Amino acid sequence: MKQAVRLGLQGLAIMAGLVAVLFLTFAAFGQDPVFGVRTIFLGAFGDAQGISRTLVRATPLLLAGLGVVVAWRAGMYNIGGEGQYVLGGIGGAMIAKLLGGAAPAALGPMILICGVLFGASVAALAAWLQVKRGVQVVVSTILMNFLALELMEYLLRGPLQERKKQLFVTDTLPNEAMLMRFGAQTDLHFGIVIALISAIGVAIYLYLTKAGLQLRIVGDNPSAARANKIPADAVQIRAMAISGGLCGLAGAVDYAGLTGRLADGFSQNWGFIAIPVALMGALNPIATIFSATYFGALFAGSEELKRTLPIGNTVVPLVQGVVVLAYIGFVTWMSRRKPVVGAEE
Amino acid sequence: MTVPPEPILSVKSVTKRYRSVAALQDVSADFYPGEVHAVLGENGAGKSTLMGILAGFVVPDSGTVTLNGGPAPIGRPFQARDDGIQMVHQHFMLVPNFTVEENLALSGMRGLWQTLDTKALSKNALSRAIDLGWKVDADERTGSLPVGVQQRLEILKGVADRALVLILDEPTAVLSPSEVNDLFRVLRELKEQNIAIILIAHKLSEVMAIADRVTVLRRGKWVASCRIEETNAEQLEHWMVGEVPHREAAVSTSSGETLLDVQSIDVLGDRGNLAVKQAQFQVASGEILGIGGVDGNGQIELAEALVGVREVAQGDIQRPDATGYIPQDRHQDGLALGLSIEENTLLSHVPQDAENGPMLMRSKVRRWASDIVDRFRVKIGEITDPVASLSGGNQQKVIVGRVLSQNPKLIVAVNPTRGLDIRAANDVHERLRDAAKAGAAVVLFSADLDELALLSTRQLAISRGELGTDYFGSIEAPA
Repeated sequence: MKQAVRLGLQGLAIMAGLVAVLFLTFAAFGQDPVFGVRTIFLGAFGDAQGISRTLVRATPLLLAGLGVVVAWRAGMYNIGGEGQYVLGGIGGAMIAKLLGGAAPAALGPMILICGVLFGASVAALAAWLQVKRGVQVVVSTILMNFLALELMEYLLRGPLQERKKQLFVTDTLPNEAMLMRFGAQTDLHFGIVIALISAIGVAIYLYLTKAGLQLRIVGDNPSAARANKIPADAVQIRAMAISGGLCGLAGAVDYAGLTGRLADGFSQNWGFIAIPVALMGALNPIATIFSATYFGALFAGSEELKRTLPIGNTVVPLVQGVVVLAYIGFVTWMSRRKPVVGAEE
Repeated sequence: MTVPPEPILSVKSVTKRYRSVAALQDVSADFYPGEVHAVLGENGAGKSTLMGILAGFVVPDSGTVTLNGGPAPIGRPFQARDDGIQMVHQHFMLVPNFTVEENLALSGMRGLWQTLDTKALSKNALSRAIDLGWKVDADERTGSLPVGVQQRLEILKGVADRALVLILDEPTAVLSPSEVNDLFRVLRELKEQNIAIILIAHKLSEVMAIADRVTVLRRGKWVASCRIEETNAEQLEHWMVGEVPHREAAVSTSSGETLLDVQSIDVLGDRGNLAVKQAQFQVASGEILGIGGVDGNGQIELAEALVGVREVAQGDIQRPDATGYIPQDRHQDGLALGLSIEENTLLSHVPQDAENGPMLMRSKVRRWASDIVDRFRVKIGEITDPVASLSGGNQQKVIVGRVLSQNPKLIVAVNPTRGLDIRAANDVHERLRDAAKAGAAVVLFSADLDELALLSTRQLAISRGELGTDYFGSIEAPA
């Protein structure tokens, strides 16, 4: 209980700090900070549209962020969230194309499943390459991002191109195949529920199951895992499969929930931004809900800012950078201050 | 030479607290030139804190430190080094990918704004090596040198230029008996050159062999200081632990059923080298087989093969299903330092009743973990604290506790008491003996001859991957 209070207070302190960073960033660039922060806040949470925008953007960030959490906790530095997200979308679009118009009601779930499988299989492949062939996941997954993006470009100009063959896009999904929407006025779709359930699922997996414990042991000390007969290789491949599956799910959810079709620029770097999201969530699935929401709000709010402020477009990546750096600095500082307990030797 | 009139370095009533824990409390000591001064104490006695203060790494909360009659540069380790206080750390401060020359030059560098002439910068240290009778290859890559040689480099770094005081933190922990002898020879030589040598130690036989003066600390407090002739090992031990620890004779040889049957196995090392050749032996229920030898002769590979962590390249091992492994390096192979104490008790074995399908039963896990903490007297704050917050001895108890609590029929332990204080080591010994009495077969690898003699019902030695029995006769005990 005491711990919960402490965590809550810590969360509040971090929130306050994040707002302060936002404030200072505006000030540093000669903008009215009160106006800027206010615009972002109202754009993100001011009305139903704002909240919807925030949550719609938080959805892929949370899913892919959870993917990063699972992989990194296992010591697998998956940087391929972007590629896995795109492959998730591709998987969904492929099954939609294959089925044609048949069984539109079943198509939605099928898209999600395919997205998961596509993301999971490439990530597992990258893990296998590291474990069995010594190719670092950091390197292979970065490269796989480019492969996935190129693959999508090719598919949009070839097999997956719309029937009219005019634009480089896929056919738009029929309405019955789209995920449920919560209202006609907003984009908010069932994906946010899927993302939240996933967060709880990942938390249960990591902290309440034996497999999750083994995953964290392997991530913390692979050598100790080996010496205690925990199959580190298998655990790491499994972690990457889950990670890629979650990133793929993020892509499939956006496809079936928001865009309804693939086009160039399908991903807006969600798979990359998922990394700071997960880091700011301290690689904890529950905390990642909050950091995904924060980033979602930042994106949603700054869309409002774009309309009112000339620098609106640039301020978002800027603030992202500043926030992540500030946070990392803060965490480093905190860990340095940690006293030596049981001082001996 | 009579007793020198003036100490070169002295501390007066220094106190250092970490949060509420007093690492040092009102400790005073004088260190004289031309003397080996051993600072003795169990883990947590405050030895390293005291050394840190002397070398300028740690700033005491109160008290004074005097060097050569003036104030010592407290909290300024570089200044302390330039003033002649040299420290040889337990964990070597060498860049493994640098050559010997580069490493020696690195410590000779003052600041970054100078041209780099590694030859010139390492010249002093290399000529000191010759003075001290060491052959050092300046072009050798440091990381590929044996630890004993790496330690020599650390000492050379210290004595290259101006050395008034040389502090060595547990220098013998990593050395073989013959390397210890050589170290002591060099320490005596340095002593002749009027350097004050401060030796952190907890092996009494070594202290008796080399020290001129001892200071004993216990739980951060000064207990005693005297010249070595005025005391003896028993008294020192008494000072260190406060009571003479209970010592039991080794378990008598039993003729239980054979639990471990090793049939001429070959085991490969990490680099594909043949680390163990044609090992063959049996261990019966109730037996403790001691395997002695200097580190790096195939112990870890053999141990891992015995418990099934490492495959055998040839031959066969019959072992019981329930095996327990206490690895040598607790940080590398024993613990997940980022995880909690509780989670670390589950590292080698999750008790059956705590598993419910894929789920872990939290209450059962908690009971298992607190049981281990209670029975093995692990000193902890909260059981959910990171295991890294525990002292080394208590970390080791977590490992020993979790391994023995799963009631293994075969226990393989590699240097299970390395770095532990007497009390903790006795505790571990007692537990291993109890496990053997309860019918387990125990294989104990140890570089410590005393430990082997104390525990084993039967002894073998390993040298270059080969097991033998005649090794002990040829080992030279430290003078």
